Amino acid sequence: MTTEISLEEYSDIVVSYLDDDGYPVSYSTTARMEDGKLVVEKPAGLNPKKQMTVVLNHITPLPTGGYTDRRYVTMIGEAEIRDDTVVFKPAKTYGWNEKTKPFFQYCEENVPQAKQYLSNLSKALGREIKARLPTSQLLFRATRFPFLTATAGPVLVGVGSAAYLGFFDPILFLLTIIGASLIHLALNMTNDYFDAKLGADEANITPTPFSGGSRIIQYGLLTPKQVAGMATLFYVVGIVIGLYLAIQRGLVPILAVMGLGVFISYAYTAPPFKLAYRGLGEIAVGIGFGPIVVLGSHYVQTQFFSIEALLASIPVGIMIALILYVNEIPDSPYDAAAGKRTLVTRLSKESVIKLYKALLTASYVSVVIPVVLGFSPPTALMVLLTIPKAVKTVKLVRETYGSPYLMIPALASNVQVATNTGFLLAAGFFLWAAINFLL
Amino acid sequence: MDVFTAAEEIMENALVSVLSYRTQSGRISSHPMLPLYSRERKKLYMTSSILFSKKAEHIKKNPKVGVLFSGRQFIKLPSYSALHLKGDARVIEDDLHDGWSWLVELWRKKEPYIESFIKQRVALPLFWERVIIEITPREMLLWKNGVLRNEPLRWKA
Repeated sequence: MTTEISLEEYSDIVVSYLDDDGYPVSYSTTARMEDGKLVVEKPAGLNPKKQMTVVLNHITPLPTGGYTDRRYVTMIGEAEIRDDTVVFKPAKTYGWNEKTKPFFQYCEENVPQAKQYLSNLSKALGREIKARLPTSQLLFRATRFPFLTATAGPVLVGVGSAAYLGFFDPILFLLTIIGASLIHLALNMTNDYFDAKLGADEANITPTPFSGGSRIIQYGLLTPKQVAGMATLFYVVGIVIGLYLAIQRGLVPILAVMGLGVFISYAYTAPPFKLAYRGLGEIAVGIGFGPIVVLGSHYVQTQFFSIEALLASIPVGIMIALILYVNEIPDSPYDAAAGKRTLVTRLSKESVIKLYKALLTASYVSVVIPVVLGFSPPTALMVLLTIPKAVKTVKLVRETYGSPYLMIPALASNVQVATNTGFLLAAGFFLWAAINFLL
Repeated sequence: MDVFTAAEEIMENALVSVLSYRTQSGRISSHPMLPLYSRERKKLYMTSSILFSKKAEHIKKNPKVGVLFSGRQFIKLPSYSALHLKGDARVIEDDLHDGWSWLVELWRKKEPYIESFIKQRVALPLFWERVIIEITPREMLLWKNGVLRNEPLRWKA
C-alpha cells in the first residue's frame, strides 16, 4: 500500500518508536520512497528501534483559525537502522482522509467502538454509562420532529378546502392537527423500532438528517423498549383525540379514516405487513398523507367528504410520497442489503429520476385540473410558484445521486418543494375563502 | 528562553500534535490529536470522542505516552522548533457528557468555531461524549528549527 501513498500530500512525517524507558519517542523527519520502503532521517542523540511506527499527517490551517482538509496515514512496521538513515518497511497501514471518507461517515463507522467502550466502562464502574442528550434535543431527534411539516400541509389543505366551501372551526382544526401529528410521531418511532429490529438502520453507515432513521437506538440514547413505549403513547393520545372528534363529528366516517391512517402508519414497517420492505411504502405514504389526512381533516370540519378535498389530496399525497422516495436514494444500498426492497432499490438511477420527474409533473397537473374544472379556486395556482425550485431539485438529485452527504442539499430542497406545495395549496383555499367572506 | 518555557509556547500554539502510546500487542500506535495545554495546571490535555476510544483503552493499561509537536505550518510562532514530550497519562472518564467542557476555553483558541459545533451536539451525539487524556510532562526534547542533525535540548521533571 505504501507505493500508493504520495508523500507530497502530507505536510508532516513523524517517526515513533518505544524508548528504553518504556515511553514512546517521536521525531519529525523528511522522507523518500525507495522500492516500497520509506527512507527517513536518523536524528542525533536518539536511538531508533527496529519496531517502528510512521505517521504521515496533514491539515490545512485556516486564516480565520482552525483547520480543514484532514488526512493521515499510520504505518506500523520494522526498520533497518543505518549510520545516518533509517529504512522503514511498513507491514500494516491505516488512516483517514476526509476527502474520501466524510467525517460523518467516519464517525458512523466507529459507533460499534463507542458502544464497546461504554459497555466496558459500565462493567468497570458497576453502573450503566450511556450516551445522552438534553431531553428536548433527545425528543427532537427521536421523533424526527421537523418532519411534522409533512402532516401540517395535508391537514391545512383538508381544512382549507373545507373553508373554501364555507366551513371552518378553529378548535376542531387544532384538535385535528394535534391528533394527526401524534400519529405521525408514532409512525416515525414505530419505523425506527422495526428498522432497528430488522437491521435496515443498523447497516446504514451514511445516515443524513433526512435518511437512515433517527439513530437513537443505534446510538444507545433510547432502548428499543423505550422507543416502542413512546410510539404507543403517541398512538394512544392521537387515537383518543380521534375518538373525541369521531364522537363529536361523525363516528363511522372518522373512525374509518383514522383506523386506516393508523393501520398504514403501523404497517409501514411493522411485520407481517412491512409495506416499506415490499416496495409499497411510497404508495402507502402517498395515500396516508394524501387522501386520508386531507379527507379526514375536511370531514371533521364539514361532516361530509367532498370532491374538492379528494382532488386537493392528490398533489399533496404525491409530494409527500416524493419526500420518502428521494430520501430513499442515499439509503438504497443499505436497504437492499437488509432486504428492504423500496421502490428506489428496484430501479436504475435513470428510472428513479424519470419517475421522480413524472410524479412531480403529475402533482402540478393535478393542481391545475381541479382549477380548470372549478373544484379548486384560481388562487390554488400559487402552487406553481414552486416549479422553478422543483426543476432545480431534480437537477441537484441527478448531480449528487449516490453520494449521501453531497445529496443533503438536494434532499432538503425536495422537502421544501413538497411542504411549500402543501402550504401554498392550503393558502390558495384559505385566501379564496377569505376573499369570499370579505366580499 | 529555557526548554520548558519554549515548550509551553509551542504546546499553546500548536494546532495539531501526534500522540503515541503502546498497545497491548507492544506496538506503538500514533494519532494526530488537538493539544490543549494548561499553563495553570502545567499539564497537557487532549479529548477524545468515545467513537475513537481504543486509544483510551490502551492508555489506561499503559499510561506512558509520547507527544510530538512538529510541522512548521501547524505551529503559530515566529520561530519554529519541534518538540517531543514524554509524559504520564491519565484517562478521565467520570463525566463523558460534560466533564470536558472546561477545556472549551483552551479549545476555542485552536478552533474558534468549536462552540457552534458543540451547540449542535444533537447532530452527532456520540462524538460529544468524550474522555479527557491528561498528560503530566516527564521529559521533553526540543529541536531548534526542527533540525535533527543537532542534539535536542532536554528538560526533565
